[in-house]
Amino acid sequence: MAEDSFLHLARPLGPVSVGTAPTTAPLNVVIQPQAIFSVLDHSLRRNADQERVIGTLLGTRSEDGSEVEVRSAFAVGHSEAEDQVEVDMEYHKQMLALHLKANPREVLVGWYATASELNTFSALIQNFYSGQGDGTWPHPAVHLTVSTEAGKDLETRAYISAPVGVTAERAADSAAFIPVPYELRYAEADKSGLESIANAKDAEDRSATITSDIDSLERAVEEVISMIDRVSRYVESVIDEETPASTAMGQFLLNALALAPKVEPADIERDFNNHIQDVLVVSYLANTVRTQMELSTRLATAQLTLGGGEGAATGEGQRNQRGGKGNNQGGRRQERTEEARA
Amino acid sequence: MAETPAPLAAVQVEALVVMKIIKHCSQTFPSTATGALVGMDVDGSLEITNTFPFPVVEVPAESHFDNAAPNPAAAAPRAKANAAYSAEYIRMLREVNTDANNVGWYTSANMGNFVNMNVIENQFYYQSQMNERTVALVHDVSRSAQGSLSLRAFRLSAKFMAAFKENKFTSEDLQKSDMRHPDIFEELPVKLHNSHLITSFIHQLQCPTSNASTELPSSLAALESSPFNKTSTLTPNLDNLSLSIDPFLEKNCDLLLDSIETHNTEVNNYQYYQRVLGREQQKINAWKQKRAQENATRATLNQPLLPEDEWQRLFKLPAEPSRLESMLNTRQVNQYASQVDNFVSSSTGKMFAIKGNLLPNETSN
Repeated sequence: MAEDSFLHLARPLGPVSVGTAPTTAPLNVVIQPQAIFSVLDHSLRRNADQERVIGTLLGTRSEDGSEVEVRSAFAVGHSEAEDQVEVDMEYHKQMLALHLKANPREVLVGWYATASELNTFSALIQNFYSGQGDGTWPHPAVHLTVSTEAGKDLETRAYISAPVGVTAERAADSAAFIPVPYELRYAEADKSGLESIANAKDAEDRSATITSDIDSLERAVEEVISMIDRVSRYVESVIDEETPASTAMGQFLLNALALAPKVEPADIERDFNNHIQDVLVVSYLANTVRTQMELSTRLATAQLTLGGGEGAATGEGQRNQRGGKGNNQGGRRQERTEEARA
Repeated sequence: MAETPAPLAAVQVEALVVMKIIKHCSQTFPSTATGALVGMDVDGSLEITNTFPFPVVEVPAESHFDNAAPNPAAAAPRAKANAAYSAEYIRMLREVNTDANNVGWYTSANMGNFVNMNVIENQFYYQSQMNERTVALVHDVSRSAQGSLSLRAFRLSAKFMAAFKENKFTSEDLQKSDMRHPDIFEELPVKLHNSHLITSFIHQLQCPTSNASTELPSSLAALESSPFNKTSTLTPNLDNLSLSIDPFLEKNCDLLLDSIETHNTEVNNYQYYQRVLGREQQKINAWKQKRAQENATRATLNQPLLPEDEWQRLFKLPAEPSRLESMLNTRQVNQYASQVDNFVSSSTGKMFAIKGNLLPNETSN
């Protein structure tokens, strides 16, 4: 997918009126998984007779305009016939306004289609998106194609365009699409989400449950063990002279091994004890607080179980309550000092 | 509740929704982010297929509790402006064949601090005004940063809904209904679900270089700059092996202290109420005695008796403070404590493992 190599060519510029001149600087496109997922979801929801669907891409542009980050996308209805294409521009505008209300920092950056094909209609739509006024002018509009043909690999490509045209009349429906490099990038915060999603990839029903902390720890440990196994298998086979040796690989592995810290056993022992005590104390305190609070609320509402006449029960309950509260406060003060120490 | 055929049993969340929620929540972190969920209810399993964030509008929270935090984002789901916004958005989504039913809302949380008045009021609003079969998804940003995704689905229990509607949270009411803090929320199991396209997309991401050469690199520099080293797509996530436990515990202690503070305030309120109540009661008794004496003397003098129930007009008993806040607080502390427990169980494991590795001779016995 991303292994294509790119050569940046300055795109030819069309006739420009004086004023803001569009740039020809290299452009790098970064796509966040949210955008791709939206595109794929839209592709699933297309009408049965539609070959491809299109939508608007939103995101941010770096200050010098050399990097475009596609952050989200929304679908726009359109219909294609033999000789004409209709895009619901009203819908696009309304949706854009709605989206910008909630995401004021994102701007229009381009559009997507769910087929790899570039045709006259693509050029027409591209010219709309990159045009002045509603479009991305003076920045180039990014066109993203994600092919979702059954039985084939998903293929993602990013383009920007340059105006071409033999005559002025033809300029509206022609454009030179120039492929640009793109990369899929996700934030730190997305990592855990993507991992959980990836867990479902081999399941028959394509679903996964959310794992608890300890389960995911187990999985991570298993993963590390399997990686170490793989490396040690490789090393062994090199030692047995079954696979060709590589000094670079050896160096790399040695470097990795050299990262193991050298610490005094006594230090480890001390740090370990300190830490484990901290952890356990906090856990103990948390549970004590929980019990105390539980007790206090129970006492506040437990008068009926005391039995006896109503008046007596209420009086007793209230006294109990006060007693319970007093104890609570005492206990809490202690806890607080202990926690402060911890 | 009673008339719906099958109660909601599970929540199924599409990958798209998960990613969108994570994006929105982490963008606005550490302030709260909220948004709407759309999807479909299929035989008791709520399928959430799309979502959109709420814009933050500065409106005063319409709360019938004075102490609701003035946080516009947290109150967004029940703000009037957003009802129109989401109706509009959903109408737009319907046009492009998305499931267009409002099935709930999501909020972000920091270390599980989501049990508060805002969440309750939002969910109450959804369950009472919009649609009974709605859920609140809670995404915990800081816990997810620890390595494993934290996404939970909650609903208010029928019991709590009834009580909240009437605002019945005096101790007498609570005794009658026997409602305790575990009864506030019902947690529903959350399942992630991928579409076919996303499944194949993820498969493709993980083995993108099937046709690239696997020749051995010629030098260390070549190895470090090779594409294998650079591709960041779906590297295994080993964040949960990290040993930085202190920030987590610190934060948790802070939150616990806050809760204790709240609890103290509540208890003081209640004690004040009881003192005032006691004083009033004393006054009433004194008045009653006086009246009885007076009536006795009047009876001997054959004068008409004075009414004995006038005290109801003369004295006003203070209103009992609502126990709701302390109930929520207890629930919140419960949440923190179980969170700490979870964390401790995994971190002690990690620590023993490290000790065992660094001091191999001690564990060999």
